Amino acid sequence: MERFIADLVQSLDSGKIDRREFCKSVALAAAVYGAGDAAQAQVQRGFKIIGINHMSYTCPDYPKARDWYASVLNMKSEATRDDGKRANLMFGPEPGKGGSFLVARNPGNVASGSAGAKPGAEAVIDHICYTIPNWDEAHVRATLKAKGLDVTGRDGSLHVYDPFDYDVQIASAAEENAFKR
Amino acid sequence: MEGFVAKHVHDYQNGKISRRWLIEVLTLAATTAYAEKSASAAEPSGLDAALVNHVSYTCPDYRRAADWYSTVFNLDQVGATARDVALPFGKKGEKPYGVSADDVPLTHIICRTRPLDSAAGGGPRRRKPTAVIDHIAFTVADFDRERAKAQFAAVGVKNVRDGGPFSVYVNDPFGYELQISGLGVTAICGAEARATCGDNR
Repeated sequence: MERFIADLVQSLDSGKIDRREFCKSVALAAAVYGAGDAAQAQVQRGFKIIGINHMSYTCPDYPKARDWYASVLNMKSEATRDDGKRANLMFGPEPGKGGSFLVARNPGNVASGSAGAKPGAEAVIDHICYTIPNWDEAHVRATLKAKGLDVTGRDGSLHVYDPFDYDVQIASAAEENAFKR
Repeated sequence: MEGFVAKHVHDYQNGKISRRWLIEVLTLAATTAYAEKSASAAEPSGLDAALVNHVSYTCPDYRRAADWYSTVFNLDQVGATARDVALPFGKKGEKPYGVSADDVPLTHIICRTRPLDSAAGGGPRRRKPTAVIDHIAFTVADFDRERAKAQFAAVGVKNVRDGGPFSVYVNDPFGYELQISGLGVTAICGAEARATCGDNR
């Protein structure tokens, strides 16, 4: 609890949270602590992200995107979820065990609850970077070249464009790591 | 094999690949086919994307965005510069969930403020895409829809929408849409289908 409060104070001092939010958080922590579950107080502050579940990619022609990502990044299209309007492209760990997927969809195909693509939004995801394990510079560059792609970037961190001019970065752990910026 | 050759000839005729590259590729394919390994030659393998390395999030005020993501998702901010900061999904030294390889770093968000046409990878200005990542979904630990709503409310996030029984949607301070779900929402059995698809993960 002490650590939790200390973190809150630090957040307040650094301006990450305002006074009102600080007070609410302390009150909430006290209430939860009073109920005998101090650990829950920290959970209540926010979520614990495990990873990216999926990315919703809207484009003019989803089969074209599906085939490109399957070919270039070895993503696997889940046949049962390809309904003629969208496809789920899996990569990484197994589904349900940390795996992610890219939903390639046509305009107008919007998930329940989602507002869908909003032109002119203030914030955008301007590129996604994928980690390629066992990075071999020559192999990676040759593979991309064999796919007919123009490559920019530096060794260990390369950029290509997908069929809809979306910027796709691929990188090694050595070159793209949050803790080595 | 014919389809493979046709595709590459088409690319060559449209200027996508050079004459030399066409020759190299077809030579390799032909010799490999002769060695009865045509399957691998016919479609050169791609690269194995192991995980999202980072999501590049560009907005008018990266500090405001970063503070919001830190508060709501308990993410640390590391490597701040005058125009961006990284928010890894964990602490230094931790491995990504479900990954055993040592060379796959934690996924992170980079919150940044910069022109949208900033050069990509030191190349020319970034092209204007005709595709968009319209939302990102995070997998969170111990997801429960009603508890998630309460957690969002506790940190002042409004306009929380149900995404079926197994996820919720919110918007960040810049209106970007986020979805939150648990491990059970997968490519095989998405948030909308979980109630009926029989997948018990």
